[in-house]
Amino acid sequence: MSGVEQQVSTVRLVKQRTAIGLAVVAAAALLGGCARDAPQDTFQPEGENAQKIQNLQWPVFLVAGIVGVIVFGAIIYVVIRFRDRGQEMPKQTHGNPTLEIGLTILPAIILIAVGIPTVSTVFSLAKTSDTQCVVNVTGQQWWWEYEYPVQNCGGIEIAEPLVTSGELVIPTKAHVLLRLTSNDVIHSFWIPKLNGKRDAVPGRIHPLRMEADHPGIFAGQCTEFCGLSHARMRMDAVGLSPSDFATWVAKQSEPAAKPPGDAALRGEDVFRAQCARCHQVNGLMEENPDGTASAKPVIAFPDLYVIAGNAPNLTHLMSRTTFAGATWDLLTEPCRDALRNASPEDFGALYLKGVTPDCFNEAELREWIRNAPAKKPMYSSEEQKTENGGKYRGMPSLNLTDDQIDQIIAYLLERK
Amino acid sequence: MSEAIITDTPDADRSGADSGAVVPVADEDVVVDHPVDEHGAGDHAAHMVTSTGLSNNKLAMWLFLGSECLLFGGLISTYMLYRGRHTGSPGPAQLWDIPLTSVSSFVLLMSSLTMVLAVSAAQQRDDRLTTLWLSVTALLGATFVGAQVYEFTSFYHEGLGFTTSLFSSSFYTLTGFHGIHVTIGIIMLMALVGIISRSKVPGDKAEVVELIGLYWHFVDIVWIVIFTLVYLIPA
Amino acid sequence: MAIIERPSTVPAIAGGDAPQFVSPASSYGVFRRPVNSTGWRSWVFTVDHKRLGIMYGATALFFFLIGGVEALLIRTQLAAPDNTVLSASLYNQLFTMHATTMIFLFVMPVTTGFANYLVPLQIGARDVAFPRLNAFGYWCFLFGGIFLNTSWFLGGAADGGWFMYQPNANALFSPTHGVDFWSLGLQITGIASITGALNLIVTILNMRAPGMTLMKMPIFTWMALVTQFLLVFAIPVITVALFLLMFQRVFGAQFFNVDAGADPLLWQHLFWIFGHPEVYILILPSFGIVSEVLPVFSRKPLFGYKFVVFSGAAIGFVGWGVWAHHMFASGLGPVSVAVFSVSTMLIAIPTGVKIVNWVLTMWGGKLHFTTAMLFAIGLIAQFTIGGLSGVTHSVSPSDTQQTDTYYIVAHFHYVLFGGAVFGLFAGFYYWWPKVFGKMLSETLGKWNFWLMVIGMNLTFGPMHILGLQGQPRRMVVYPENLTGEGFFNLHFWNTAATVGSYLLALGVLVFVYNVWHTRKGAPAPLDPWDARSLEWLTTSPPKVHNFDVIPHVHALDEFFHLKYEEVDTDTGPRLVKVRTAEELLTEQETNADKHIHMPSPSYWPIVLAAGLPIMAYGIIYNHLLTVIGGAIVLMGAFAWALEPSVADDSDYDPPAAGGEPSQELVSV
Repeated sequence: MSGVEQQVSTVRLVKQRTAIGLAVVAAAALLGGCARDAPQDTFQPEGENAQKIQNLQWPVFLVAGIVGVIVFGAIIYVVIRFRDRGQEMPKQTHGNPTLEIGLTILPAIILIAVGIPTVSTVFSLAKTSDTQCVVNVTGQQWWWEYEYPVQNCGGIEIAEPLVTSGELVIPTKAHVLLRLTSNDVIHSFWIPKLNGKRDAVPGRIHPLRMEADHPGIFAGQCTEFCGLSHARMRMDAVGLSPSDFATWVAKQSEPAAKPPGDAALRGEDVFRAQCARCHQVNGLMEENPDGTASAKPVIAFPDLYVIAGNAPNLTHLMSRTTFAGATWDLLTEPCRDALRNASPEDFGALYLKGVTPDCFNEAELREWIRNAPAKKPMYSSEEQKTENGGKYRGMPSLNLTDDQIDQIIAYLLERK
Repeated sequence: MSEAIITDTPDADRSGADSGAVVPVADEDVVVDHPVDEHGAGDHAAHMVTSTGLSNNKLAMWLFLGSECLLFGGLISTYMLYRGRHTGSPGPAQLWDIPLTSVSSFVLLMSSLTMVLAVSAAQQRDDRLTTLWLSVTALLGATFVGAQVYEFTSFYHEGLGFTTSLFSSSFYTLTGFHGIHVTIGIIMLMALVGIISRSKVPGDKAEVVELIGLYWHFVDIVWIVIFTLVYLIPA
Repeated sequence: MAIIERPSTVPAIAGGDAPQFVSPASSYGVFRRPVNSTGWRSWVFTVDHKRLGIMYGATALFFFLIGGVEALLIRTQLAAPDNTVLSASLYNQLFTMHATTMIFLFVMPVTTGFANYLVPLQIGARDVAFPRLNAFGYWCFLFGGIFLNTSWFLGGAADGGWFMYQPNANALFSPTHGVDFWSLGLQITGIASITGALNLIVTILNMRAPGMTLMKMPIFTWMALVTQFLLVFAIPVITVALFLLMFQRVFGAQFFNVDAGADPLLWQHLFWIFGHPEVYILILPSFGIVSEVLPVFSRKPLFGYKFVVFSGAAIGFVGWGVWAHHMFASGLGPVSVAVFSVSTMLIAIPTGVKIVNWVLTMWGGKLHFTTAMLFAIGLIAQFTIGGLSGVTHSVSPSDTQQTDTYYIVAHFHYVLFGGAVFGLFAGFYYWWPKVFGKMLSETLGKWNFWLMVIGMNLTFGPMHILGLQGQPRRMVVYPENLTGEGFFNLHFWNTAATVGSYLLALGVLVFVYNVWHTRKGAPAPLDPWDARSLEWLTTSPPKVHNFDVIPHVHALDEFFHLKYEEVDTDTGPRLVKVRTAEELLTEQETNADKHIHMPSPSYWPIVLAAGLPIMAYGIIYNHLLTVIGGAIVLMGAFAWALEPSVADDSDYDPPAAGGEPSQELVSV
């Protein structure tokens, strides 16, 4: 807590020692109980920029608390001291200009004391010149896509562009610059432990810097109201140590291979017929009429079918731990908790294991494939499709049979 | 005086007021006819006492025009933001017919002059001249609106529909709003001509003429701004 | 808009030398104005500012109950994680309409109601400057509000949030007609706001009683004046925004079509240039009410009247320079963000001045804790909390963590409910005897107050925790596994907030019961609170013409100074009550003005206003209907302009009981 010294010096402006004591206790009670707070606690920075915000907001909340205590004290004193006890009609004083000017200047001084560090923090947070890695972040109803352009990302070479969704994987301690935009409406990207939020606005690119202090998962959520399933548009940032990040990049660069096993193979056929219109799987090939694989890759055209013009790339679905806008877990509860509570040292290895069959939370994914709009309202019924000019707003229900769903799940389980 | 208690008694003579003697009022006769709008127009304004000295109607019109400034401010800002955004469809360079628009702008400017003449005639209680100048003003306004309709039509034929581009939407909205203001002005002028010609008291409507004059001048000034920003300054 | 009024009498010169006089009612022969009648006609065609004030208040309270039910549904859904009481679609409609209803159909019109009723009485006038325009404004508000709410039955209400950000509110992303109803409905209520504001400004500036200089005006009138100025300049901006939205959705204009190159931030700027002054439009009238109530029950003048006036005006100016603090996360760039941070901190200063002055008003006073006083003190305390959390928002880096979380929801409810609405309730209790001649029960009032205080703080207090723990707003569900454990558990505090909202609703119901309970109570005393300003210098409820004699004003708190004088005693000067309100009233009645001329009722305000929703339905469903509505508006405007200025029998001869119309025609 490097901000403590700052707080103390700010606090000295106000010479109400007892009030300080009270406010500190109150603030500590409000902010102190750290261990098990909700994962989006805004007072637990775990990255450089979030720490800068924390250093600024701590003392401001403290000063606000102190002022509040003083005003409340005054109100309570007045109410008790001057209640009607049969005293004389009071003197009809209309004011005291000196006192009033003094009480106008006092808050002005406090606000100057708040204003100067605010302005300097604004510019410090806007700094992008020491960026070490760039990720293009695109929001759409109701999920996030991350594209890693060709670059040297914090010391790790990315040789061809990577596309993933839901979980933003970044190397720890690197200055990562997110370039935010949107495919449809305004969304807002917010990982409270790493930085404040910034809107992703269609037609504009907004920069947002992030650093993760240590490996781990940092929860976040879209915070600009974006329509029907706004509540189900989540995201996580995943910090990996540079070496783990290199492993992750290598895995993400591999195209999908022909899956082993009969069910998964049939799943590939179903996927090609039903899902590949929108969902890209790198390495999936067209099938010749005789059933053999051709050399022609299957290219998804989501822009023909959904309004956002985009659908998650599923090549490495099982390297992620959530699906459908990071809303539902691909991991069973014990596995998820084990991962989320893992120590920073163990986290990387556990995360890179991906979704193993024994940890696979099949039920939710099954429901999703059976009837996605029933799980996450999306204006994607046939009727709404007509209203929307022939495009879906999200994933429609494809009316698949149980067998087909089994096969698709077997196929997806191989998308590591 | 016992200043100690009432530290801020504003008028020293309040003790006198209690006996009803001295009251610091401008015009005591009209207290009964305390101003309510129904008295407000025409000559009667002269007899009314308002706290500011400005008639209610005129004050309201000024405030209304102040409000209108913000309306056109919003529309002009929208246009200025979007005027360059017309990819693949006609833009100002292809469309503007500056000579035509200059002439119609000049016509509108002249209508301000005739409006001034109408107001002056009304103040001299010359109803015949007032209606004449009002009619001329309305005619000039109608000419302007006619030119605008012609302009819109020719732009439309050149491929600039309301929904064509950001530029077209904001252009038609801004100039359309102005055109509607002029049209409402013309309707008010014509109605006024009708009312005055039936009026039995010469100069009865002087203040109404003046109020509509204020509105008319405002609409003209707005056009000068629009003409400069939209037509004359290149995007 | 035909806002131009005819003179009352027209001396006719018809053919001969000797001028004849025609009565105004017949001068154009076509239209007659209704005479002052009884029953429903006396309300529907009224132009009396007091009746219209009551109508504004009653209608707004009705919408308050609707908005409250919407809030309760929202809180019920959020009582537990992953709750399924409401669908996502309905939830989105509910929070959109809750905000829209509370802002545009409750707080704004109820403050207009207060201003309508009280301003002419406080400045010693007999009515507002444009009585028919006043009636027209009310009907626009009512019809606009009804129009807006019919969307519930016509395919669904607006679902884009009250700020209706683009492009999410485009037809593509919000395919029902809800947003169309929203944009057109607010356009209609906007007309009500503009006309009301013009009217009140002219009234306040032009129609003050002799001697009432600006710095002797009651503070409520001052705050109403600042509010109306804000309205006059803020409403046209939202009008532009709503037109762009409507053109976009109905006629296919491109304003917010990103594919065509549109910038969605245009909407945000237009909306918040309106939206932030709007915040002060909502709160300043309550500041005015509290500044009236505190001195009365402290038995002391408002401390630093001039400072309170100037700080109100300062808020009115600086309020225009802070709009982008709603957009700190929008990506404005650091320079804009820094500038708006600083300007936002600046506005905290005049706001702080008010709190200091209120506390110092009570300091050294003789406090009577009536219900009105309790609500006023409640405002000071709760607004302080809301104001301080507001200062934390001005720190823009910190705001990027808290904006769009429940911390914001907590902040603006402390300001708008704990502040504005508490002020309004203080006003209800304080002026109820003036308006209805009956006292609201103080016992029920105390129940009302304490239930509302506890309910309000239990509802919105926990939202500070929820927000700082990262629960975003506008979420139909929050997942169980992200609620955390221990003291800050989101589930627990959400449940607490829901319980609080029920208590709050109970408090409001106590108020409703109190109103019902009071209707047959004993008449209120003439001056129940030992009040200070002019509206108490007349009967309760006031006569149609307000004052038998227009008072001559000599001091701020004129009524108080008429009652009290300083008398020298052995122990020094003392304030002694030298006259009672009854004596002052008798004095008035004996010197009553003769032939007081009041504006006659009119058919046309309601007709003209009725044309507007017809036009609006037409824009949505069938353009022919728009033409019909437009024709009604145009014809209504002509009828308005051409109707005579008075009905045949419309003068008042006090001191007849209640000042009924006499049978005498002023002009003949």
